[in-house]
Amino acid sequence: MAIIERPGTETTPAVVTPQQTLGAVKRPVETKGWREWLFTVDHKKIGIMYGVVAMAFFIVGGVEALLIRLQLAAPNGHILSADKYNQMFTMHATTMIFLFAMPMAGAFANYFLPLQIGARDVAFPRINALSLWLLVVGGIVLNASWFLGGAADGGWFMYAPNSGPVFSPSHGVDFWVLGLQVAGIASLLGSINLIVTVLNMRAPGMSLMKMPVFTWMILVVQFLLVFSLPVITVALVLLMLQRSYGATFFDVSQGADPLLWQHLFWIFGHPEVYVLILPSFGIISEVLPTFSRKPLFGYPFVVFSGASIGLVGFGVWAHHMFASGLGPVSVAVFSIATMAIAIPTGVKIFNWLLTMWGGKLWYTTAMKFAIGLVILFTIGGLSGVTHSVAPSDTQQTDTYYIVAHFHYVLFGGMVFGLFSGFYYWWPKVFGKMLNEKLGSWNFWLMVIGMNMTFGPMHILGLQGQPRRMYIWTKARGGEGLFNFGFWNMVASIGSFILAIGVLFFLINVVKTARSGKTAPLDPWDARTLEWLTTSPPKPHNFDRIPVVHHLDEFFHRKYEEDSAANTMRKIADGEELVRAEEAAADANIHLPAPSYWPIVLATGVGILGLGIIYGVPIMVVGFAVVLFASFGWVLEPSVAEDIDFAPASNDGNTKEIAPLG
Amino acid sequence: MDTVSHVKNSRRRIVATLAGVAGTIALAGCAQNAPQDTFVPKGDNAQKIDTLQKVVFPIAGLVGVLVVALAIYIFIKFRDKGQDIPAQSHGKPTVEIILTIVPALILTVVGVFTFRTIMDLAKTTDTQMVINVTGQQWWWEYDYPAQTDQGITQPIITSGQLVIPVGTNVLLRETSRDVIHSYWIPALNGKKDAVPGRIHLLRLQADKPGIYAGQCTEFCGLSHANMRMEAIALSKEDFAKWVAGQQKGYTSPDEGTKAKEGETVFINQCSRCHQVNGIKDANGKAIISAPDENVYAGAAPNLSHLMSRTTFAGAMFDLVNQKCRDDVWKAKSDEFGAKYLTGVTTDCLNQKNLRAWLRNAPAMKPMYSDPTKLAKTGGKYRGMPNLGLSEDDIDKVVAYLSTLK
Repeated sequence: MAIIERPGTETTPAVVTPQQTLGAVKRPVETKGWREWLFTVDHKKIGIMYGVVAMAFFIVGGVEALLIRLQLAAPNGHILSADKYNQMFTMHATTMIFLFAMPMAGAFANYFLPLQIGARDVAFPRINALSLWLLVVGGIVLNASWFLGGAADGGWFMYAPNSGPVFSPSHGVDFWVLGLQVAGIASLLGSINLIVTVLNMRAPGMSLMKMPVFTWMILVVQFLLVFSLPVITVALVLLMLQRSYGATFFDVSQGADPLLWQHLFWIFGHPEVYVLILPSFGIISEVLPTFSRKPLFGYPFVVFSGASIGLVGFGVWAHHMFASGLGPVSVAVFSIATMAIAIPTGVKIFNWLLTMWGGKLWYTTAMKFAIGLVILFTIGGLSGVTHSVAPSDTQQTDTYYIVAHFHYVLFGGMVFGLFSGFYYWWPKVFGKMLNEKLGSWNFWLMVIGMNMTFGPMHILGLQGQPRRMYIWTKARGGEGLFNFGFWNMVASIGSFILAIGVLFFLINVVKTARSGKTAPLDPWDARTLEWLTTSPPKPHNFDRIPVVHHLDEFFHRKYEEDSAANTMRKIADGEELVRAEEAAADANIHLPAPSYWPIVLATGVGILGLGIIYGVPIMVVGFAVVLFASFGWVLEPSVAEDIDFAPASNDGNTKEIAPLG
Repeated sequence: MDTVSHVKNSRRRIVATLAGVAGTIALAGCAQNAPQDTFVPKGDNAQKIDTLQKVVFPIAGLVGVLVVALAIYIFIKFRDKGQDIPAQSHGKPTVEIILTIVPALILTVVGVFTFRTIMDLAKTTDTQMVINVTGQQWWWEYDYPAQTDQGITQPIITSGQLVIPVGTNVLLRETSRDVIHSYWIPALNGKKDAVPGRIHLLRLQADKPGIYAGQCTEFCGLSHANMRMEAIALSKEDFAKWVAGQQKGYTSPDEGTKAKEGETVFINQCSRCHQVNGIKDANGKAIISAPDENVYAGAAPNLSHLMSRTTFAGAMFDLVNQKCRDDVWKAKSDEFGAKYLTGVTTDCLNQKNLRAWLRNAPAMKPMYSDPTKLAKTGGKYRGMPNLGLSEDDIDKVVAYLSTLK
């Protein structure tokens, strides 16, 4: 779908006429019940589904983490066998990164990016739906391995040659390779979709430097994905060919160099780290100004530091390989580059602090989580700086110190940012306020649990407990009260407190759904365009496409500067502004019709993948479904037959959505 | 004026006290004598790293404390007390530039020292001794090429425990026979991966005699957690004794002893994979093991002088009982050499561990040794299979192995 802006003349047809319906199957017009969700192309519904799927996998990955902590609570744990433990930590990381973190960021991006830029949907709604369903299929393929002979056991980094058919003989790695390829297609399609959306579909007046920071960060992330996903895709295809068809890309006896995999993996893997964290940076860059009643301090610096983190992020991959036997010059270069990336990251932290400086801080749950991110990410960032010192890293890499580091960054940073987003935007999405009291329990239990779980890991790692080990022994655990047994037990107890904290969120969600308070239209005195519409927004988002004059447009429609008193004077109420938009609704709004094909095509891709494991007949079935779905997609009528649409009005510019999706 | 400075002083005192308390808690929270502590260097390579990290960690800690303190100040000072909505200032470029330059300067200084240390630790021109280290699932093999100036007149092959002379710049030449492993003795240096098809170099040097623990730190499959090792540093005299012991010829047990019967069982059951240098069959023909026919990596530990090491099976198990273990591990450095060189005496031998291993090795250490699951390796084991020895055979083999001093 594209927005076509055109002068209202008689000669230009607004949209293709409904008579051109050549498709084999009728396009669904209006769907109800479960169909409303399965065949939708509405970015908001897709966003919600992304969120639900990601949350489900967050719970799966969380249970895996709890099992890991149960196993490690005491020396010589026997809850899990070596084999099961190896599968567990592989799938914990894979699930959390690919099936929780990325889709959850995708949920926020899908839902709010079009709203923040004043658009009615994303550029390619059907492709958007395809992304979602491919992710679901990829997640199912990945986790199906648990029931079909065991999950992948090579670590999420899946280093060659340990990932080869000889060393990992079960089908686990095959499922992993295929699941990730499918999920990778989803991300790649999604990223192109969002880039086009941001570049082409911003409301009139919204120059790039008037875009909300969340949208900016999502844009940077999509560029990271576009350039890094092809690299991992190549690596995954090579590994697939080796495992399933006898190729020898990583077979040392055939002359392969196993370090090739590491380079390919981390050229993807390091930008991936920023793919995970930048959306949360974006979220709190919305939340902190809102609840500080001040614009983001140094908006251009935050934007450009985000972009430069993204750019430099492509040049630091080998810092994951300081112990892998690179030459000293390479090590030195990557060591210095890694230190360099700390600078723009530090800039962001200072800007957030200075945003709050001189503000009027309102401690809602969303704000608490945002502040949690600032503090916890700072700790994780500083332990990251100690890792950039390559000689020191050769002592601490692959110990629990690095596990502590990236959980402070990813849990303290990314996850706290996402939770901040939940509390901030819940009223927008569902029209109801999450309970602040339960939110407070949720926040504090998560803070305590998170620090109890990952804090002690700093000590354990510095004192030499290596990671990825299904047992640890007393013999290497030191003496005294604070031996490894003490800290491992603290970490394990902490992990359950953390889990209870997350449980409070789920309780909050259920409670809010049942008996939550209806949200006012502008509960937070917010700043950006997504609040200039009803909650939840109508299918077409905006009754009238807003014209943007300011960064933080919505705020500036509500407040006027009182330069004499050096303060802001309220001139309008958020709710009135929304009602005014409703009153001045555009006459001709066209939305794309739902479609059967995205979910069918995604299913076909999944079957095709299973065919690579289970043989040609299944592959043929998968291919047939893909072919059928592709033809269906292409030949599908671009609008539903009896969709109601009015001719364009003649009064100057009219914005319409041509549903060519 | 006085009161102001007084307040300032007391503030300073509070800050200093808090910092002191925090530091004490951090240190007190550590385990004592953790064998793999990364902040207890025992040789000059690890010392170089330590010197660097003892600067970097406090700087990071200090920055952290300052930022968090600033944050808490802001949280309290600017909380909503009913003040007006502030003017919408969008930032001050000067502040931004200062906040960019200051960390950049700190990192530049850190960068310079980092660079120097990286180069120092990559040096190979001062090498005095070379040892080839080969990783395989899930144990380490050490191969000492002949180096007459170190008293090694013929090659020595051993496993599990790396023995080096103190004060000597040892260069490990690491590689692997299967997947990637990583060699790490934290007291002596950082880690370096052992990658199949490549040779990576790692400097090691120990100041004092002692036993230094390590673990494989690159995930290497099923029993990664059980792939351990120790470095044993001996004084130069003791090292010469150790070398002499390793180069000692083979003595077959006396006829009629249990050990002699054990030798026969060993020849039938074990010597297909495990080499014992000098062992001969009934016809007087030297037995050369052929592990590559049975084991995927193509190697199994050389057992010629098994009783000179205090651990076995990838250093996963103690070959000595707890008392003798403590004796060695807790020995003072000037007594350590003599204690280690005593080897595993009959009193010290950990019968329980060794017998359990001989009874059913895969039950002791997870390995790929189920014959029905070896299709991808052409029937070859990864690790040691269950040999199905009778208790009687186990008695005999234990008696025989005890003679391999």
